[in-house]
Amino acid sequence: VGRDPRHDILFEPIQIGPKTLRNRFYQAPHCTSFGSDVPGAQAYIRAVKAEGGWAAVNTEFCSVHPSSDSLPLVSARLWDEADVERLSLMTELAHEHGALAGVELWHGGCVVGNLESRLPARSVSQMTDESLYSSSCYELDKAGIREIQRFYVDAAKRAVSAGFDIVNVHGAECGAITQHFLMAKFNRRIDEYGGSLENRSRFWVETIERVREAVDGQAAVTARLCVDTLNDSPLGIRAGEEAYGFIQLADPYVDFWDLQVGGWVAAEWAGDDVVASRFAGEFSHREMIAAASAATEKPVAAVGRFTNPDTMAEAISSGDIDIIAAARPSIADPYLPAKIEAGRYDEIRECIGCNVCASRFPQAAPIICTQNATLGEEYRRGWHPERFTQAQNADRDVLVVGAGPAGMECAVVLGKRGMRRVHLVDAASEIGGCMRRIAAYPNLGEWGRLTQYRQVQLDKLDNVEVILDTRLEADDVFEYGAEIVVIATGSRWRADGMNGPTQSTIPGAEADNVFTPEEVFDAGGSIAGDHVVVYDTDGYFTAVAMAQMLMGAGKRVTLLTPFPNLSPYMFLTGEAFRVNRELRAEGAEIITNHALLEIEGTTLRGCHAFSPAPLEWSADSVVLVTQREPIDRLYHALKAAPDRLAAEEIEAVYRIGDCVAPRLIADCVFDGHRLAREIDSDDPATPLPYRRELTPLPATLPDLVGSGA
Amino acid sequence: VKTVVAVKQVADLDDLDGEPVRKRINEWDLFALQAALDLGGEVVAVTVGDPGTEEVLLQCLARGAERAVRIDASVADPLAVARLLAALIERESPDLVLCGTQSSDAANGAVPAAVAGQLDLARVAVVRGLRLVDDRLELDRELEGGLMEQVSVALPAVVSVQTGINHPTQPNLRAFKRADKTPRETITPQQLGFDVAELEAAAGARVRRLVRPGAGESRATMLDGDPAEVAERIWEIIGARVPA
Repeated sequence: VGRDPRHDILFEPIQIGPKTLRNRFYQAPHCTSFGSDVPGAQAYIRAVKAEGGWAAVNTEFCSVHPSSDSLPLVSARLWDEADVERLSLMTELAHEHGALAGVELWHGGCVVGNLESRLPARSVSQMTDESLYSSSCYELDKAGIREIQRFYVDAAKRAVSAGFDIVNVHGAECGAITQHFLMAKFNRRIDEYGGSLENRSRFWVETIERVREAVDGQAAVTARLCVDTLNDSPLGIRAGEEAYGFIQLADPYVDFWDLQVGGWVAAEWAGDDVVASRFAGEFSHREMIAAASAATEKPVAAVGRFTNPDTMAEAISSGDIDIIAAARPSIADPYLPAKIEAGRYDEIRECIGCNVCASRFPQAAPIICTQNATLGEEYRRGWHPERFTQAQNADRDVLVVGAGPAGMECAVVLGKRGMRRVHLVDAASEIGGCMRRIAAYPNLGEWGRLTQYRQVQLDKLDNVEVILDTRLEADDVFEYGAEIVVIATGSRWRADGMNGPTQSTIPGAEADNVFTPEEVFDAGGSIAGDHVVVYDTDGYFTAVAMAQMLMGAGKRVTLLTPFPNLSPYMFLTGEAFRVNRELRAEGAEIITNHALLEIEGTTLRGCHAFSPAPLEWSADSVVLVTQREPIDRLYHALKAAPDRLAAEEIEAVYRIGDCVAPRLIADCVFDGHRLAREIDSDDPATPLPYRRELTPLPATLPDLVGSGA
Repeated sequence: VKTVVAVKQVADLDDLDGEPVRKRINEWDLFALQAALDLGGEVVAVTVGDPGTEEVLLQCLARGAERAVRIDASVADPLAVARLLAALIERESPDLVLCGTQSSDAANGAVPAAVAGQLDLARVAVVRGLRLVDDRLELDRELEGGLMEQVSVALPAVVSVQTGINHPTQPNLRAFKRADKTPRETITPQQLGFDVAELEAAAGARVRRLVRPGAGESRATMLDGDPAEVAERIWEIIGARVPA
């Protein structure tokens, strides 16, 4: 059984100037925090995608010069030959797997801190970016403009010598000087580089033209353009108007277009270029992309968090776009094209749109994925998303207790590693663990894909049995007959208000009008009282979900948090702005910078984060979203009886996921995967060391010259 | 009581793309086996198939069957299967024969009736409850529309069991380990007195390959839109096919 013929269109090669994409799958530039300084990880993450069938793989944004130094955020760099050498590893491996390699040339203008290079920021106009404190920039004069264009040209030449097949002039996400010239928001010039649409386009068009000359037919040239800044501001870009004009002006100099919508950097747009599943599904910017792409006959690539081949095929056959660009879908499943090509649709590991991948970029931390535990681990741990080795101890039977994110993943990987029998046992009547609740939170339905993918995998593995409606106590585990026992019993919310900011419980938390998130969920939001205070010291999605559920049940909700912002983690995932906006629009009151210290009846006592002066609020009920605690009773009961374990011939008891320490879902999936990958190591409880990419010590040490004290 | 439970390894119809197609024990048979275990006494699991079908016998042993017998023959025709089973059942002379009401792959539901016919025994189908009262079996049969029929039969008898009659227990790994060590019996059609050539000739239908119709061959169409639009479309489709 092959693929549906309707999807054949996705596998038609397409010419992009001097190069050919072997199919329509284009891994759009996306951040990894590997840049060019962590070349092994950079090369391998892209190589696995190339192997998985992507016709092109791209770097993340790639700085053209030290005057665009993104630290602490990690970009790739093409500043000199050392960077060329490091990025060559990526192009080489991409080519080995038959893919083209692309690089996204970038100068950040006024949005860079230049924390490493210590150069002052240069900008279109003397406009200060909101993301930098007490730092501004200088306006480029004509010579300065020429100099920046030279940076692009020199970097483009280096890109060709590094083996890149596609040179992308980045002008999108509101974080590139090229786009700043285009936008009236940043461009207040009165010379020929400012004012009219044609003038504002001049720098960008000239730069693309010069890059085209520089690569001299050795690479395809594209431009990533933000076609709509989504801000309803006259200072922004509208798809059918300015973007249409920009595309017409630069069209002769590109081989294809890479179009996107929204931005990451500026607060008002943040997150809209990687719109989370809680806000939108596949190809949600379609109208804007179609309006802009009407301006060109050249092939158009656009992202849309595509995971469904039907949507992809229709996007192409309708003529709206020609190339399926994808960042997050390629992160969740590097083998997405190969699986569609082979008609292995049920094997697709669909992106859940949680944006935990994106959350790593502002933390300058290596990229991770909730769905794909191997992401970012290709080089340093040698993990391949689709390949597994037979375990050395595959003759053992394994019992996994708890079918949440960690337990499901562990059982799947143990199954793929050929363990004789794996029993995944859960007390509930379906698998998923905490995901049974979380995926039913308002707007988080797509997160259910985490369970759905694993359900399909578990069904396919003959050596894995899923046993539901079965609660195992320590005696049951002792007598179960497994040589290896893995405990994955998850976590629960603290009911006593224990929280990080005060490291204390909250007196009064035991009262009948104080609820945990589990209780609110089980009641469908219909808890006692009309006015409910949700107290959040967790900082991620749970408090938001509680507020939405309670409001859905007709409650008046006040969100109270000691943090300076509600759900600070959502600033990392790019969800914060819209979530804050929507909660307020729906009538939620949000009080930040205040700690809750005590509950007495309907009186809540606390203080401001910076003042001990007592304050009071009132509410009928309180929901405490403070912190979770591991459910580890079973684990400790087993570990406390080593003689019994020995007598029952249980070789090892491990614990994974939230029952070790409550964490991000992605970290729990990773934990389960990691244990299964290393189930036959000398000490599976302790992760094997990973390869570190360290810069070698200098051969000779420089002298510090000069005289003085 | 001594009960023979006839079990079948079925193809997982959700996995026809699998290479090879995934096989598992017929879901109905798990309920039949559990019913036998709940009655107590000796439980003998029997299947007809090649050595690859022993996995279902292992499942039965792990679940508590005392013995497991495979009749070594690759036949798919319900009547041929029934003849083989009947011959073995005659040898075992049980008090009761339990089967699943149907198999999830072929869904003929023919074997239990054919076995009863071969052995000239009473046969009760689609049973949702059974109780041993003295030397008779009292049974609840499922009828259409939620109706139930109560029947009482003398033993031995052939009873086919509906899903949901009980809660099959899931054996733990220790039970599988024990089952691994329990010898499984194999018997050939010749040992049961069959002429192989004759059986071959009588085997009738056999499964050569399991395939899912390709997407291009599908004649199903999904209709999108609000109820009024969908109704309109349905009307058009019917109109185009029904002569005026």
